[in-house]
Parts: sequence; C-alpha cells; structure tokens
Amino acid sequence: MQQGTGIAQRLAGRVPPQIASLVQELGTAASARGLPIDPLIDKAIEGSAKGVAPERVASAVRLVAMQLDTAATALRDGGLVADTLAIAAGEFAITAGLSGSDIKALARTGANAVALTVGLRVAGTLAALGVPPAEDIGLVSVALRSGEPVSALLSLPANVQSAIAKGATPAQAAAGLARAAAAQAAHGPPPDRGGGHPHLPHPPTPPHP
Amino acid sequence: MSGHELHPLVKQLLDGDITLADLPAELRAEGEAALRLLAGVDRTDVSMPAVTWRVMAKLEGRRRRFLPWLLAPALAIAAALVIWLVPRTPAPASLVTVRFVLVAPDAKQVSLAGTFNQWDPQATPLVRAGAAGVWTATLTLPAGQHQYAFVVDGARWVPDPGAPAIDDGFGRRNSVLTL
Repeated sequence: MQQGTGIAQRLAGRVPPQIASLVQELGTAASARGLPIDPLIDKAIEGSAKGVAPERVASAVRLVAMQLDTAATALRDGGLVADTLAIAAGEFAITAGLSGSDIKALARTGANAVALTVGLRVAGTLAALGVPPAEDIGLVSVALRSGEPVSALLSLPANVQSAIAKGATPAQAAAGLARAAAAQAAHGPPPDRGGGHPHLPHPPTPPHP
Repeated sequence: MSGHELHPLVKQLLDGDITLADLPAELRAEGEAALRLLAGVDRTDVSMPAVTWRVMAKLEGRRRRFLPWLLAPALAIAAALVIWLVPRTPAPASLVTVRFVLVAPDAKQVSLAGTFNQWDPQATPLVRAGAAGVWTATLTLPAGQHQYAFVVDGARWVPDPGAPAIDDGFGRRNSVLTL
C-alpha cells in the first residue's frame, strides 16, 4: 500500500487518472516481484508529456512491465541475484533491440552487478548505434571478462562511433574492437605511450572498400 | 537539407588531442570553422528547477568535466542542425557535466526534455548564443543512462541525430546518453 501511495504521489498532476491507476497496479505487482518501478513511472510521465493518447501510454507502460520481467528472468538465468538497477538496464537493452538471451549471455560473464549494469547500458547504446546483437554482446562480453574499469566500458560507444565515422560499419567497428581487446587481454596491455585510453584499444582501422 | 560529417581529425582537434597546426592543410579551414563554432557557444549553466536530485544525494563526489569533448557528427534535420557534446571520460558513480548544442536558426525557443527532468519541456530551456542560431544548455547529470529529446518551439520533439536513439514506444525516437 505504501508503494502504491509513493507511485501516486510521483504521478500526481502529471498523467491522466486512468494511467496513474494502471501504473499503480503494475508497479505494486512489479515491486512485489523485486522489479524496479521507476521505468514504469518514467514511461507514463514521458507519454503524457509528449501528449500521447492515454491508450497508447497504457500500452507502452505494459510493454515496459513485460520487458522488466524478461530482463529479470534473463539475469536470474545468467546467475545474477535480483538487482533492480541491473534489471532496469536490461529493460533498456531490450528496448534498444537486444533479447533475453543476449542479457543472459552478459550475465554469464560473471561480472559483478555494478559492472554488469554498466555493461547492459553500454550494450543497449551499441544496439542503438546499429551494432548487431552478436557483435554487440561479443564486444561487451570481452570487456566485462577482462575486468576493465567501468570507465573503459563506457568508452565503447564513442570508440564505435569513431570507427563508424572513419568508414566502418557498426558490425565491423564492434568486431574489430572485440578482437583487439581479446588480443590485448591475452598478451597484456601495450606500454603506455601517453595518448588515448589507458585500457581498451583504439577503434580499428576500417577495411578498405 | 544536406547532412554534414566532421572529419575525424577535426573531431580530434575539438577533443584537444591535436592542434590546428597538426591538421593537414586541406582540413585547416574546416578545423578553424569548427573551433569558431565551439568558441561561440554560451557556457553558462542552465538551472534545472524541476529535476529530482534524489539520485544525486546518494552520490559521493561531484566532478565537472568540460574537456576533452567528443563532438558527434553534426547532421541536418528539418530546419535544425543538432550537435551533441559529451565528455569522453565520464566518471562513474559521480556527476558528469554535459553540453547539449542545437543549431536551429529558425527556432524561437528550444528546450531539453528527458529522464533527468521528468520529461518536462519547460524545465530546461536552451540559451541562444549569437546570431548563428546556436542553442545550448550545460547540465550536470548523474552517471547512468539517460534518454532525452529536444523540444523546438514547444511542440516539435526532435531526437538528437548525432546520438544513438531508441524507440520511445509512442512512434518516435529518444536519444540515448550513457555516462
């Protein structure tokens, strides 16, 4: 009941009454299952702010609820104990085009919850950049397994964008970075020459057409 | 309208990785123009009264990073040219200062709405800088994943074409910022 009151307070004056009721219902159920409620509230507020019809907002909120369930199941199957931040990051990754299987694969890297959460956000961002799931999960998995700092993970989208700007496709950019990172992990980091990122390699040179 | 992609070396120049003298002669004009554009950007912080800072209350430190920047590709969309600027070395579990820039000469007002301000199109106005139609806002955001869009003239929701974007569930696109 207290959870429902909190949801109602956050939605008060921001969404139509029927949307508030729906989010309260879905949010209370989600919370009882250990799922985060913020993505539900955010989606409802976003839809109303954009002037979207209540029926469409309701559909979008229901979809988020389903994706939270999918993400939680995938993380659990991958061996991660329930973590609301990781589940929300998984939901974002699904929205960006990844699947429950992809999330499970990242969870199976054995990364801790904090690193995995960042990894899921980065994987979702890479998907949004057009990187196909196989190359996306391949790259983020290598980075997670190598135990690189979170800052190195966060640099991956910029590195991929840089390679794309030089003419690589998103798939080529991600695959090249994954190969370079795997080689670096196998042979140890190169000596620091005072430039670029200290951990993950620079983007690969795109292939000639 | 035509799109425009900055040369990677010009991006490195804007990042501060190289100097103008390091650019090949044929790229110096482009480099100078990009530097002029960046120098003309208003660097005044924009207040965000509607932001819920409860996340920030949990954070230990506060870092502000203006440089180096990664200048995303500048792309033309409708009557607006949008440029996205983000710090290249974000600090996890911290706060990151991000500058959003929109070049929209015909716009009368531009604002930013996203997960960081409860999608309130009035909460974060961009400030017009000069006659070139450059609109800018500098925000300090918690590390994490944010979604946003520009709101032009209070009605048109414009995703940032220089940033990754995802389906918003309503038939539009949200830009994504992962810090």
